[in-house]
Amino acid sequence: MTENNNRDIPKDTMIEMIKVGRNYPPDIQALSDISLTIETGEMFFLIGKSGAGKTTLLKLICNMEMPSNGLIEVAGYNINTLKGKDLALLRQRIGVAYQDFKLLGDRTVAENIAISMEVSYKKSRAIKHRVRDLLDQLQLSDKHDILTGELSRGEQQRVALARAVANSPRLILVDEPTGNLDASTTEQVMELLNRSNKAGATIVIATHDASIYQGSNNRIMELQNGKIHSVTRGNS
Amino acid sequence: MNFWIAVLRQTGRNLRQTWSSQFMTFLTVSLSVLIFAFFSLIYTNMLGAGDRLSDDLSLIVYLEDEPGPAMQEQLRRKINNFDEVESIHFISQQTAFQRFADQLGEDSDILHDMPHDFLPASIEIVPLKSLRGYNQIKLLSEYLASLPGTEKIQYGQEWVERFYHFMRLLTIVIILSGTLLILTATFMVAYTIRLTILGRQAELELLRLVGATNNYIRAPFLIEGILQGLMGSIIGLIALYGLFRWISVHFTGPGILNLFQFDFFSPSIILLIILASISLCSIGSYSSIRKFLQI
Ligand SMILES: Nc1ncnc2c1ncn2[C@@H]1O[C@H](COP(=O)(O)OP(=O)(O)OP(=O)(O)O)[C@@H](O)[C@H]1O
Ligand SMILES: [Mg+2]
Repeated sequence: MTENNNRDIPKDTMIEMIKVGRNYPPDIQALSDISLTIETGEMFFLIGKSGAGKTTLLKLICNMEMPSNGLIEVAGYNINTLKGKDLALLRQRIGVAYQDFKLLGDRTVAENIAISMEVSYKKSRAIKHRVRDLLDQLQLSDKHDILTGELSRGEQQRVALARAVANSPRLILVDEPTGNLDASTTEQVMELLNRSNKAGATIVIATHDASIYQGSNNRIMELQNGKIHSVTRGNS
Repeated sequence: MNFWIAVLRQTGRNLRQTWSSQFMTFLTVSLSVLIFAFFSLIYTNMLGAGDRLSDDLSLIVYLEDEPGPAMQEQLRRKINNFDEVESIHFISQQTAFQRFADQLGEDSDILHDMPHDFLPASIEIVPLKSLRGYNQIKLLSEYLASLPGTEKIQYGQEWVERFYHFMRLLTIVIILSGTLLILTATFMVAYTIRLTILGRQAELELLRLVGATNNYIRAPFLIEGILQGLMGSIIGLIALYGLFRWISVHFTGPGILNLFQFDFFSPSIILLIILASISLCSIGSYSSIRKFLQI
């Protein structure tokens, strides 16, 4: 990564967004005027009705899409001006569990999870070990060699999450992690995320599921029609 | 180090997933190498044979009259003025008669009643080695024919002419098969790699999202091209060597092949063919990467 071009951002800021907007043609304003700071090590919840702009916000943070206006910095880097190797290296430090999973249906569960570690050239043994460990935590041990195309939605969702956390990224973005899960599996998923969070990862979770944020005292930001409606804390 | 392990893992995966089209490409490349190398092998061997045959190439100029010493000197100067030659040798009517008689051996008595000057005098000219291209020989012979007092020029015209025409034909065949090799190697490889890339858009997109570097994404495809070139040329050359052995065994004995030694390529030529094939296939894969793997 080249330069740290924003020294006035305190070290413990992971995400900085200033007046960020995102429009889609013809004239859909998916997001507008989003200003937001997320601290390093924070677990941050993003809520709002369907179509409020949660997924769009996550996509902007991981540079899957460009903002129409405004500034986005992740770990002190303006993610929209990063290119090539710098961008790749930063992305290796960001784990994303997409709402549509983006699993490779013709690869096994283990292979899908391994991808995020392979791109940073982890040793085969370390990868195998980590994959087994994650599958254990998510009660998917018996699915190790199953093609992900053959899994149920809820299983796919957990594989996507395992891939997001496998490489121990500094920042984890999770889009609807519990949409297809029962209460006890939801608990396991949240346990995994809490563990990563305790290990120092910053986590942003977009969700409809009130059960996973209401009990905590983390910050919760509600979007409404692409704008920030409120930022509150859960009542623990 | 770990980068290469990861890249090789990815390359192996690519090969396994698309092995049937990979195999077709590999076959095409080795077949084109085989065809091209086959004709090149014939060409280089013919060149060697031509060299050896033209070692005894000489022009014989038959003269109308026996030239005197002054005349000999004049002709010698004329020929040397036109072009330097290896040697000029005058043969008098008497010597010609003697040679003929020697050739007949025991039957030479039939010459008994013949006048000793019934054979024409001649000049034997051995051209310089460097002068032995077909066209130079032809020019020299035309010049000699234009000298006063010459009757006929002989140098195995027909044979030389046929040989050079054959060589020209062979050159064209080599150019054609070389073009075929270039086209198949670059286009087939480009095509299979394009298929792989297009068939795996989802995976390539995901690799970008999880932070794979450009090199990590591209290197497997480049390695694939290099492997195609390497394997294709090696197998093509092995097949040619088999063919070469077979021809050597079945066509030795009296016949055309005895006229010249039939040799296989030297190690440096073999290396050159392999390197050329590798570069062509790499160019093919690189062009597909450039076009379909924009990052
Ligand atoms: N590629 C796109 N082209 C056009 N419009 C888009 C595109 N992506 C998102 N939108 C629009 O932007 C708005 C916000 O979408 P987004 O996916 O961020 O919602 P969300 O909050 O994640 O919803 P959900 O809870 O259903 O996942 C929606 O109105 C959507 O139609
Ligand atoms: Mg969404």
